[in-house]
Amino acid sequence: MTKRKGLGDGGKTLKQMLEENRRLLKETGCYAGITKPHALKDDPIKAELFHSRIMSSLIAGRETCKQVSGSPYVREVAELCMGLYTPEGDNVVQSTGIQVHVRLMGDNITWMIENNYEEDVGIHDGDLFLANDPVIAGVHAADCYDLLPVFWEGELVAWVCTVIMEMDIGAVSPGCMPCTAVERAGDGMKFDCEKIGTNDKIRRDFEIRIEIGLDLADLFLLDRKGAVAANIRIREDMKDMIREFGLDYFKKALKELIEEERRSQIARIKQRTIPGRYRDIVPFEIYMSEAPASWLPARKDSIRLIPMQMDILPEGRMVLDFDGIGEWGWHAYNPTPKALWGGLSICVVQTLSYDGRANLGSLLPCDIKTPPVDSLFNPSQIKKLATGNPWPAMIDVFSLWCGMLGTSFYMRGFREETFNYVSGSGWQLAGYDQFGNKRPMLAGGPGTFGAGATGVCDGVDTGGWVATPETDVGNWEVWELFMPEMYMSRMLSLYSVGYGRYRSGLSMPTMDMLHRLTVGITSGALGAAHDRIIPNIGLFGGYPGGKRNSFLIRYHDFQDTVNKRLPLVHEIGHPKEFLNYPYADIKYFNHMPPCMEVLDKDVFVCDNSSAGGLGDPIERDPALQKADLDSGLTNEEISRNMYCIAVNYDEKTREWKVDEEGTKKLRAAKRKERLSRGVPVEEYWQKARQRLLEKKLDPLLIEGYRSSMKLSEGFTRDYKDFWALPNDFGF
Amino acid sequence: MSYSKQDLKDLYDGKLPWPKIKEIMSRPKDDDRFEKYVEILQERLPWKEKILLPIGEHLYIVQKGAERIVKCDCGHEFGDYRRNWKLAALVFVRDTKETLEEIYPGTKCPWPELCEVREFYCPGCGAMLKVESVPVGYPIIFDFLPNLDAFYREWLGKPLPTSQEPRDMSNEVTMAWRAKHT
Repeated sequence: MTKRKGLGDGGKTLKQMLEENRRLLKETGCYAGITKPHALKDDPIKAELFHSRIMSSLIAGRETCKQVSGSPYVREVAELCMGLYTPEGDNVVQSTGIQVHVRLMGDNITWMIENNYEEDVGIHDGDLFLANDPVIAGVHAADCYDLLPVFWEGELVAWVCTVIMEMDIGAVSPGCMPCTAVERAGDGMKFDCEKIGTNDKIRRDFEIRIEIGLDLADLFLLDRKGAVAANIRIREDMKDMIREFGLDYFKKALKELIEEERRSQIARIKQRTIPGRYRDIVPFEIYMSEAPASWLPARKDSIRLIPMQMDILPEGRMVLDFDGIGEWGWHAYNPTPKALWGGLSICVVQTLSYDGRANLGSLLPCDIKTPPVDSLFNPSQIKKLATGNPWPAMIDVFSLWCGMLGTSFYMRGFREETFNYVSGSGWQLAGYDQFGNKRPMLAGGPGTFGAGATGVCDGVDTGGWVATPETDVGNWEVWELFMPEMYMSRMLSLYSVGYGRYRSGLSMPTMDMLHRLTVGITSGALGAAHDRIIPNIGLFGGYPGGKRNSFLIRYHDFQDTVNKRLPLVHEIGHPKEFLNYPYADIKYFNHMPPCMEVLDKDVFVCDNSSAGGLGDPIERDPALQKADLDSGLTNEEISRNMYCIAVNYDEKTREWKVDEEGTKKLRAAKRKERLSRGVPVEEYWQKARQRLLEKKLDPLLIEGYRSSMKLSEGFTRDYKDFWALPNDFGF
Repeated sequence: MSYSKQDLKDLYDGKLPWPKIKEIMSRPKDDDRFEKYVEILQERLPWKEKILLPIGEHLYIVQKGAERIVKCDCGHEFGDYRRNWKLAALVFVRDTKETLEEIYPGTKCPWPELCEVREFYCPGCGAMLKVESVPVGYPIIFDFLPNLDAFYREWLGKPLPTSQEPRDMSNEVTMAWRAKHT
């Protein structure tokens, strides 16, 4: 038997295959140059069987991993996903689970090929690779990708990849997603497509590095073992499939599944949306002036503007453009252009490609224009920067992207698909836990945000988290076992809502009391870019949910409060009264609390708000409001002030009754008030323009506008054109 | 795949229970949705101009003679669809703690020095058409400028009788304001 020249098809090197694939896509517009797919179409039953066999193998692999791993992030939050990739690194099928990494895991494979791993590092049957460096491809270091090649008779025919979010990555305290990291060194361990094992076995020296380097080494290694077990299982399933379907069909079908999905995605876009230009703005608030950073230039507050434009083109493609975005900074929140694909991947799967066929083909009709060099989304210094948590800006960007797409669905008549979401921020912790171990601690249950309203019904309460549904309410009892905390509240917040003809869902603030913590520090766990500026997520006259808040409650004397049977804090209640609790100091923090010491029995509060309402609130059906009142999801004050619905509580029947006449009067008065309060936009424009000419803006905003203008002539021109500012105007 | 107009009316009027809505969401999408949607909306309007595209809860781009304009269901007209309709609306800007707290009381209130909430009303009927929450000083957002001709010609296969370049003409409005006020 002659020695193969390369590992790929017909003895080609992987690099040759990659280059050929890219050339064919460019020349034909079709994945791998497949202009006339036939292998799947010729026998649809066989094709369906083929796809479902891969899918069931991936899901079975995911379940295998969950059984091996001990991490609550795997078991409770489902922050894991498996994917099958072509030899070139193109995703073919992915399991259920977090859908962020469709393209990013493949980008790591592509990077290995481009960096000549085939010759310099060696890729062999049974080799285990690990990657988690966003500088190559990824969002943040906590997401670890385990990559395993699939060989058949000496040829590399596929890759199996697993992503798991880790609770400990060896980062600077509080760890996991450290807001305190401002340089790369603070991010913790990075694995740059590192070969961590051979012959299906993790190397002992790698294990030793983890055992010494991580506080939660056991969980990290169990996750690796879970991922490797899953990958091996899937690999063996793929070999069985090759035996059954034949190698030729296997290779052709993998490619055609991608091309088929590319075509389906274009068809969906043409069927459900409207071509044109969509625009919005995401402000990213960064409050670091009190951060305990060793790299002192990081200690500053700033706001970065992220204007976003989506063009849906007549050919059924979607192009995202962030021209006008401000500069990068010394903080952990700089995504790379590749990371943006992670945000888009998850939202595409949630809004368009939710039939189980999502793969690289779902993303091929999409394009993200390379953001300006040295912007927040494209820092040239990325190798020096922390990338511990680039999520906040991306999450807010793609929340508004969902709103843009929802608007499009609405205009096309698919009102039921209109949806947007919002994220929030919370607390993360490090210290000595209830078992006496020092470690990072980040509970995985803050995903309790009310979903945006749809065009046909109210949004789902606590159902707005787009990443994984497992966190929508969260299994807190598990986290109480794992963290030195007790959960003090499970109350929906009436005032979290985005009001509208259809309202958003209600959010559920969390209150975690530290319990049996000895020495501890905390800082923010950032999941959103917004804090003091509420995101622009109301649709067609609906309001966005209100401001989000973090609070720290410190009882004056906890034991004394208990002994005297005085009430502890269990709910937010009315937002005007929450801070008036007499037996503790309740301190407000923005979404980036500085690193600070915390004490046993301190209480963390995350009061995140909901996504957007849809439509004019005073057109809300009173019957919906009555149902909310009877269910305790709203109150008389909100009914009257926000919806102009007059209601009375009937003590006899113990239910709310709508006063129809009173409601009519309230609504007529509100319309009259709007017509007298509202001014022609021209009048507002003139006043606002004068304010800009006099530069009477908050210094943070002046610096933010200046930063955007520095990087973009287009933004500067549009800004000056809109406000009709002189050519020499500058902030 | 197709639904009856009555099914769609019930869907739009919020009369369907969640399990039925979910069923519609999970099924393959109906190709004739847009045509039926526009028919349903057109039947409910008190005026006769043909809807080209519904762009919000009350707003439509309609064909009026040779023009394509934005029109509210109350009959108020906002002008050429290529100019941001918000520029022809009434606006109430919540930029003080007092006015913001009418919607967002206490701790839910954004910071007025950084954030303003703009409410755009129809001058004809007082309907609130859009709420915009933005950093102070940010231009009024032109949420959506459709490519109507490509939509009708290439996606629906029903080209419109005449075509117009989908060019953003909003600056003409602000330039005119500038000329007027300086």
